[in-house]
Amino acid sequence: MTADPGHPTDSSGVRVTVTAAAGRPETPALVIDGRATDVTVAGPDERGRAVVTAGGERGGERRAVLLLDPSPRPGGPVDGILRREVVIGGWRVEVEIEGERRAALRERASRAREAVAHGGPTEVRAIIPGRVLSVSVVAGDDVVAGQQVLAVEAMKMQNELRAPRDGRITRVAVAADQTIEVGDLLVVIE
Amino acid sequence: MATSPSEVPSLRKDGVGERPFRRLLVANRGEIAVRIIRACRDLGIETVAVYSDADVHALHVRLADDAVRLGPPPPTESYLRIDAIVAAARSTGAEAIHPGYGFLAERAAFARAVDDAGIVFVGPPSATIDALGDKLHARRLARDAGVEIVPGTLEPVAVERPNQVSSIVAEADGIGYPMLVKAAAGGGGRGMRRVARAADLPEALVAGSREADAAFGDGRVYLEREIAPARHVEVQLLGDADGRVVALGERDCSLQRRHQKLVEEAPAPGLDGDARRRLHQMAVRIGLAAGLRNAATAEFLLDPGGAFHFLEVNTRLQVEHGVTELVAGIDIVTEQIRIAAGQPLSAEVLRAAEQAGEPIGHAIEVRLTAEDPARGFAPTPGRVTRWRLPTGPGVRVDTGLEEGDRIAPEYDNLMAKLMVHGPTRTAALDRLRRALDEIEIGGVQTTVPFHRFVAADPSFRAGELSTTWVEEHWDGEADYRHAVRLAQLAAGVVALRDASTAGVAVTRAGAGPPAAAASDGAWLRAARELAIDRWPR
Repeated sequence: MTADPGHPTDSSGVRVTVTAAAGRPETPALVIDGRATDVTVAGPDERGRAVVTAGGERGGERRAVLLLDPSPRPGGPVDGILRREVVIGGWRVEVEIEGERRAALRERASRAREAVAHGGPTEVRAIIPGRVLSVSVVAGDDVVAGQQVLAVEAMKMQNELRAPRDGRITRVAVAADQTIEVGDLLVVIE
Repeated sequence: MATSPSEVPSLRKDGVGERPFRRLLVANRGEIAVRIIRACRDLGIETVAVYSDADVHALHVRLADDAVRLGPPPPTESYLRIDAIVAAARSTGAEAIHPGYGFLAERAAFARAVDDAGIVFVGPPSATIDALGDKLHARRLARDAGVEIVPGTLEPVAVERPNQVSSIVAEADGIGYPMLVKAAAGGGGRGMRRVARAADLPEALVAGSREADAAFGDGRVYLEREIAPARHVEVQLLGDADGRVVALGERDCSLQRRHQKLVEEAPAPGLDGDARRRLHQMAVRIGLAAGLRNAATAEFLLDPGGAFHFLEVNTRLQVEHGVTELVAGIDIVTEQIRIAAGQPLSAEVLRAAEQAGEPIGHAIEVRLTAEDPARGFAPTPGRVTRWRLPTGPGVRVDTGLEEGDRIAPEYDNLMAKLMVHGPTRTAALDRLRRALDEIEIGGVQTTVPFHRFVAADPSFRAGELSTTWVEEHWDGEADYRHAVRLAQLAAGVVALRDASTAGVAVTRAGAGPPAAAASDGAWLRAARELAIDRWPR
């Protein structure tokens, strides 16, 4: 099969990466090639309903699955990447599907770009109103992406706010017990 | 005496069969507003909904006969505005107000304002709400009624007086560690601190008191021994203006996380008839001592030795009232409305109360909430793009949500209550598994995976319940990892197959924002909502 440059597959198979998983356990990308697997999928229909059978037709695990276009984005591949919302056993998983060869190329390019990238300051602002429970960093701290920076109480729940990228904290604009509104500056990472 | 059929209703001195009110305002939103509107419809009462700007198109607004806007989405500017709600009732001619649960349901000031406006408050009198809302008062009242309470203090701890630290510590030693610092005005775990040793007590008292003061404007705290492991068992009470109080059965709500209930069932598994009747009698004694009218729930902890310890009384309709309705065969909301209209407890209620010691059948409720059970049940607000809920024998769903609705971060994230009913607990659990399998929800992560686990778990099926069950049994990450693998496989296999059959790009038209939406700012709004909903929590 000849790969179309706009299509998320090519002869070396597809790579399925789990996205939008902040706070969830890391899951490695899965590469599925043409020789694939003992997995069969019946469907999906026009409403995205399908049945997946893993581990052989008989005696395997058979589960209902939804394969939805992620809202509010429209369906179809964008820049060669197809995004899907998959719901299975009540778990909602957002995935990106990309041709394996293309994914490998893109990765190499982005690594090169990152190496020369000049990191400007990133302002982290409040997107929900709430109350700051605790602040885990002070100006001058080095943080890594995903590290907890603040705990905020909103919707009766404690929410941990994590650093969006690696860098150094240059400013902490809030303190514990402070009430925050949408748009308030929380921290600056440089 | 005339006996023509048309005059029959007027012969009923107790008012049964009459419409209790002509018009009732529902001071709430979401599933409970819909629930109350349905009860009113059943009784032939017209309804008035109230709503914030986030709920303009909500189901409860459309179902009501009339609707009044309260204000912007934040609760303090809408559903918590006593003045606006009372004014809405006046302007629409509502004779009664039902507060639902949450928001203003347990604010005595609201009940008083409703009374002062000459409108009937569907709930206990404001004095009862005040008295039982003070947890210390409730503890003293229960003790005086001869009910065993959780060991602890009966008066507020003198937090402000450093010279009394030694006497506080001495008192605490008498109660025993670990213990809990709790807010007298408390609820929902606010102001609560766990203390494992005497050295940590002074600090916990100060912190708990400060948090209680911030949350309730009342910094009084008290001490209670932590009973663990324990089960959370509560009794549904109804009382009427004649001073009668009955228990309609108990519920086990042990499956909790951060003091938020996740699963509730009726009756409580494993109780024998004697224990059950003893529990109901304790609750009724408390209700009588408090002069309870309308609906309330007395909460107890059940220790491993089989003893009940009184915890507190909630003077409102509970979220989980439906499981009691299914087992007792009555409608608690319509009973609330009848009682509020001055009618005595109905014959059905009295019969159900008589049978409550020997319940027939079993009901289980699971709360479907917008929370991620793989991330410590963090909230997951967002737009619901697919919404199909189960039906069939023994299944009841209470919800105010519809496909396309957005779960706003301003409010509680309860999406629906799924209730199942069967002749036995096992039958009810089997129905729960079946019902959960039928659910299709897209757009937001929900607690469905957790409930699927509960319904199948051997220890839950064996009735091994405790308030620490969730942390001891639920491994959200492992469950998630397994599902992710299958999700990746399914998506990958379909993409490969589509590519080989199409052989060409399947890019669809309109890869940008929808043209119709772009002109009116809807796309911007959608993008902003997406950013809010995806904000790491």
